[in-house]
Amino acid sequence: MERASDRVDGASPRSVLVVGGGVGGMRAAIDLAEAGIHTYLLETLPSLGGRVAQLGFMFPTHDCVLCRGTSDHGFGCTRPSITPALLDNNCHPNITVLTSAELRSCEGVAGDFRVGLWQRPQYVDPALCINCGRCAQVCPEVRPSGFQLGMSTRKAIDKSAPRSVPNAYYLLEKTAVCDSCRKCVEACPTRAVDLDVRPVETEIQVGAIILAMGFQPFDAAAMPELGYGRIANVITSMQYERLASRSGPTEGIVRRISDGEAPKRIAWLQCVGSRDQQNPYCSSICCMYATKQAMLAKQRIPEVDCHIFTMDERAFNKEYNQYYHQARDTFDIHYTRCRISALEEDPTSGEIILRFPGGREHESSARGQGALREERFDLVVLAVGIRPPTEAVNIAKTLGVALNEYGFCETDKFNPLTSSRPGVFVCGAFASPKEIAETIIDASGAAAEVMRLMSDQLGQRTFSRAQPFVSENGFPSEFPPEGSTRSVAVALCSCSGEVGDVVDLAAVQRFVSDLEGVTTAEVLPIACQSAGLERLADLVRQSGARRLVVGACSHRTHEPLFQRLIAEAAINPYLVEMVNLREHCAWVHAGDPAGATRKACEMLRVAVARVRAAEAIHKEEREPARAALVVGGGVSGMTAALAIADAGYDVHLVEKSDALGGNLHHVYYVAEGDNPQRLLRDLVNRVVAHERIRLFLGSEVTHHTGSVGDFRAVIRRGPGEGRLEELRHGVTIMATGGVEASSPRYLLGQDRRVVRQSDLEELLAHDPERAAQLRSVVMIQCVQAEDAPEYCSRVCCLNTIKNALRLKMLNPDCQVVILYKNIISYGFREKFYLEARRRGVLFVRYTDEEPPLVRLEPRGARQALVVSVNEHIFGKELLFEPELLALSMSIVPSEDTSGLAKTFGLKLSEGGFLQEAHPKMRPMDFADDGIYLAGLAHYPKFIEESIAHSLACAARALTVLTRPTIQLGGVVAVIDSERCTGCLTCVRTCPFGIPEMRYDRQGVGELGGAAWIDPARCQGCGTCTAECPARAIQLRNYTDDQVDVGLGKWEVPALTVAG
Amino acid sequence: MSQTADFHPELTAFTCIFCGYMAADTAGSLRLEYPANVKLVRLPCTGKTDIQYLLDAFDQGADGVYIVACSLGNCHHVRGNERGKARVEHAKKILENVGIEPERLEMFFVSGGMGATFAEIAREMTERISRLGPSPVKNGKKAPVEHTA
Repeated sequence: MERASDRVDGASPRSVLVVGGGVGGMRAAIDLAEAGIHTYLLETLPSLGGRVAQLGFMFPTHDCVLCRGTSDHGFGCTRPSITPALLDNNCHPNITVLTSAELRSCEGVAGDFRVGLWQRPQYVDPALCINCGRCAQVCPEVRPSGFQLGMSTRKAIDKSAPRSVPNAYYLLEKTAVCDSCRKCVEACPTRAVDLDVRPVETEIQVGAIILAMGFQPFDAAAMPELGYGRIANVITSMQYERLASRSGPTEGIVRRISDGEAPKRIAWLQCVGSRDQQNPYCSSICCMYATKQAMLAKQRIPEVDCHIFTMDERAFNKEYNQYYHQARDTFDIHYTRCRISALEEDPTSGEIILRFPGGREHESSARGQGALREERFDLVVLAVGIRPPTEAVNIAKTLGVALNEYGFCETDKFNPLTSSRPGVFVCGAFASPKEIAETIIDASGAAAEVMRLMSDQLGQRTFSRAQPFVSENGFPSEFPPEGSTRSVAVALCSCSGEVGDVVDLAAVQRFVSDLEGVTTAEVLPIACQSAGLERLADLVRQSGARRLVVGACSHRTHEPLFQRLIAEAAINPYLVEMVNLREHCAWVHAGDPAGATRKACEMLRVAVARVRAAEAIHKEEREPARAALVVGGGVSGMTAALAIADAGYDVHLVEKSDALGGNLHHVYYVAEGDNPQRLLRDLVNRVVAHERIRLFLGSEVTHHTGSVGDFRAVIRRGPGEGRLEELRHGVTIMATGGVEASSPRYLLGQDRRVVRQSDLEELLAHDPERAAQLRSVVMIQCVQAEDAPEYCSRVCCLNTIKNALRLKMLNPDCQVVILYKNIISYGFREKFYLEARRRGVLFVRYTDEEPPLVRLEPRGARQALVVSVNEHIFGKELLFEPELLALSMSIVPSEDTSGLAKTFGLKLSEGGFLQEAHPKMRPMDFADDGIYLAGLAHYPKFIEESIAHSLACAARALTVLTRPTIQLGGVVAVIDSERCTGCLTCVRTCPFGIPEMRYDRQGVGELGGAAWIDPARCQGCGTCTAECPARAIQLRNYTDDQVDVGLGKWEVPALTVAG
Repeated sequence: MSQTADFHPELTAFTCIFCGYMAADTAGSLRLEYPANVKLVRLPCTGKTDIQYLLDAFDQGADGVYIVACSLGNCHHVRGNERGKARVEHAKKILENVGIEPERLEMFFVSGGMGATFAEIAREMTERISRLGPSPVKNGKKAPVEHTA
C-alpha cells in the first residue's frame, strides 16, 4: 500500500472522508478529528445518527440511547464532561459535516483521492433556521414519518426528530405543489427557506476513505406469508423499537396497531430475512434485541406474556448469557425452538394465530416433541435481519471496492477493516452484520488504519479543550478579576417573536435593569445570528460588564455559542449564564403570557445572582508523554503496538512469557482458509524489527500510577526479583489475553481419548495421517469448570466446526457428532455451519438440565468410551462410542488478570475479564482516560475481532499522543483539605472511585491525611459534594454560592407583569 | 390555611443537565403547555441534589420542590440519581419532622424524550401543591406575592 508520506509532490491531502453518519461514522470522524486530522463526515440523510438514533434502549444495559448513543448530548460523551463534538454550535473544528450528500465519483490512489460529492438541497439554511417550526405548521403536505417508521406523520417540511443534528428543519423533497404553495417561505421569520436552491456538486481531496454505511433492515414485505403490511398487528422489530422508545410516537407505551389497546400477548419471530436460502447468514443482533424488547415489554406492560420463537439463542458477547437467563428466569419470557413459517389473523379480534410444536419450551425441550399447539397473540414482531445498505452496489462501483457474496464489503480475515481498494477502509455493519459495540470498535479501528496511512497529518490540526467547548486556539488573554463590582450585562433574545410574542420582553427588561449588579439590559431580535452576536459583543464591550446573562433558548444547543462569544471578548466563558426563555418558557406557556413573563423575570433574577457568584475556571495544561505502554504480546498487543509505532510514536511492549505470539501459537488454520501462522510470523518480525518498539520479554508491570498523558510504570525484567525499570508514558493498552481452560470434566486428563479441541487441532495439523484413521469422533460444546460462571466463549462453535470439517475432509466416512446447546455461527460464519451439515456432521442439541454423560464401559479387554445424550426431538437417549472425544473448553482470562486489575486500578466483570467503561459505547476504553482494553482480556473473540479491537485502542491512544497539550479539570470537584476530616464518605460515594486519601495533605486541625480528587479523572457529577458531611467539597461552576440562591419564593413584584 | 383559587403555588424544579433538562426541552419543542409557576434549576447530575438545597428551597419560601432525573439505571453518572433518590427520601423525613408535608417534595425519573411526561409532572405537582396550600414556612415569614394574571 502506498504511504501518504511516500509522496514526493508537495503537500499531501490533509483530510479524510467518512461515508455514513451513524454511530460508526461519527465515532471514526471524532477519533480522526481528535488525532488532529481534518475529516468530512458524509451522510445521505438530512440528519446524523443512523439506525441507532431510532433505537430506544440498548441491550444488555437498557441504557437509553438518547444521551449515550446519539449526538443529542454530543456523541460519545467522553469525560471530563460532555464533549458535544457534532452539535451545531460546538462542532469539532476538525470535522466538516455534510448531510443530504452523496459520493458520486472517486479518482486517485491511497493518500491522494479526488472525490466528487453531490449535495441535495435541503431548502432550509441551517445557519438561519431557529427551529421555530412555523414552516411545518403552515405546510399542507402530510407524509408518513420515516423516523417513526410510518407510525406517525410529519409535514413535507419538518425535522426528523426534535433533537436532530444538524439542528434545522428541511424539506424532504420539493414537489410541483411546493412551487405554487410557498407558504413555508412566507412563514419563515428568518428567511431561511429558499425553494430555489440548486443541488451543489463539489470535489474534495482526501487521503483516505472510511465506509461506515451501516445496513438496511430486511424488508419484511418480501415474505408475504408472515403478513407484514397485510395484518395490522404484525410489525417489524424496528417499528417495535420506535414504539418502545421514550422519544417514539407514544413515549414508549407499546400499543396494538389495530385498536390502540395494550397488548396482552406478544410474539417475536426470529430470523426473518436471516439464515434462509436468500440470506444464508446470521444477522448477529436479532436474538439479543428481541430479548431486550421482550424484557422492556415485561417491565412496562402489566401481565404481558412474551414469547420468542427462535432456532438458536445467540447470546455470544460479554454478559449476554446472564441477560438471557434473566429474561427466562426473572422475566418469565418463553423461548420456543422453531421457525414459524406462516401465520393468520382472526379478523374479528385482530389477533394473530400461530401454530408451533408444543412441549418444546427450553425446560422441556429435551422431553419429546409434543403435539402441534395453536396460540393467539395480540402483536407479532418480526425480528428482521440485516441487509447490506441500499447504496452499497453504487458506492462499491464508484469506489472500485469489491463486495462479498452477500453484498457486504469484502474484507480479509486478518485485515478486517481494509477493503479491496488501498486507502479505503470499512467499519460496522457494512462489513458484516454486527451490534453497536462492535461497530464502535471497528470505527476506531478504521480510524487507526487511516492514522497509519496518513501519519504525517497526525496532530497537524491542533484544537483545544481549554474552554468548555471544543475550539481552535487563539482566544485573547482574559481580563483580570474585576473585584467586587461583579457587573452583569443582560441580553434578551426575542427569537423573531418566538419568545417576544409570548413573553413581554420590555417588562422583563425593565425588571432586570433594576436588579443589583445589572449595568445594562437589552432586547435583541435574534441573538444567535451574526447581527445579534455582533450587537451582543458590543453590549459587553460598551457596558464594561464582565459577566453576561443571555435569556434565549436551550443551554444544550446554544450555550457553547455564547461561551465562545464571551471568550472572544476576553472574559472567562464560565461567567456567562443562560436562561431558557424559549423551550422552558414561551413555548410551554403560550396560553399564559402574564405567567410566562413572570417566570422569565424570576428565572433571570436567579441567573443574575448565580452569575455574580460565579468564578472563572481554568483548566490545567499537560503535555502528554509521547509513548505508549502495551501490556501483552499476543496478536492484540502486537497489533496495537505496531499501529502506534507505525504512526510515529514510541511503544514499550511488555510480555510476561519469553516469546511473542500468545494463543496464536496454537492456531494452525482457520475456517476461512487463511494461514494464522503466517500472520504470527509477520507480526513478530515486524515488532522485533520496529525501531520504535522496545520489547520487554519475560517481564511484568509491578506498579502503575498517574493519569492520562502522565503515567508511570515499574517493569520487572527477568525472573524472580529481576531488574526494575521505571517508565513514563502517556497511554496504556491492556492486551493481557485469555486462555483455554482445562478443567477436569468428562474424563479429561483421566482418559487419553478425551482431549481439548485445541489438542485435536494439533493432531489435525501435525499428524493428519493419524487423524484420517479416526472413524468416530464426538465433540461436546460449552464445557466449563463446575463452579465457573456461565458465559459463551464465542469462538468455540466455529472452531469445532472447523475441526469437524477437516476431519470430514480427511476421512468422509468418519462419524462426527457435535453436542451443543446453541450453535454460535454468527455473521457469515453461518456458511461453515451449513457446510458441516451438508458434509454429514451430526448436530445434537442438549440442555443444561440434561447435559451429556461420559463413562467408561468394559468391552472385553478394553474400556469403551461411552457418550450418552438425550436427543430432544425424539426424546430418546443416544449412545456413542467414539474413538476420540473433543471438548470445547471455555476461554478464561489469563492467569493473574485479577492481580493486574489491582496493579492498574481496573475493575473486573463477571467471569474475571477486565471491565470496560461502557459495554456498548466505550468497549475499548476504561472509565479513566488514557487507558484502553483490547482482545481476549475483554472477552473471548476471533482473531479478526482482536485485531479490530487492538486497532481501536491504537486510535484512541493516538488521540492523546498526538495532542500538543491536553487540558484537564474544568467543572470538577475540589476538596478544601482544611475542612476534610478524612471520613472517606466521598471515597465511598463516588460512582467512579476517584477520590483517594493522600497522606501528604493536611486535613482539618492540621491532622495528617485528607481526601484528594484528581482533576484529570473527576467526571464532574457532584455526588461527593452533596454527601460530604463537612461540606469540604465544592463542584466548580456549581458551588453552593451559585446553586443555593433564589431557590425559593419568587421575588417578582406583580407590577412588572401588569406593566 | 386558605386553599382558595387565588393561591398560585411557587415551585422549584431541579433537573440534571442530561435527561431532566432534555425532557423540558422536548416539552418545549412539542409546545406542550404546563403551568408557568415552576422555575428550573440545573444541576450537573441529580447526584448533586444536596439535602441542604432542598431544605433551603423550602426555607426560602418555595411551596413545592421536585427533582427530575434520568430514568433509574440510566444515570449518565452511573448511579447519581439513586443517591439523589436516597437523599430525597431522607429530606422528606426531615420535612415531616419540622411540620412540612413531605408530599411537597418529590422526585421523578424520565428520559430525555419524555416531553409529555415532563409537562404532566408540572401539572401534577402544581395540582398537588394547590391542594396543600401555601407552604407553612412561607406563611410564617411573608405573605405570598400577589399574582395579577
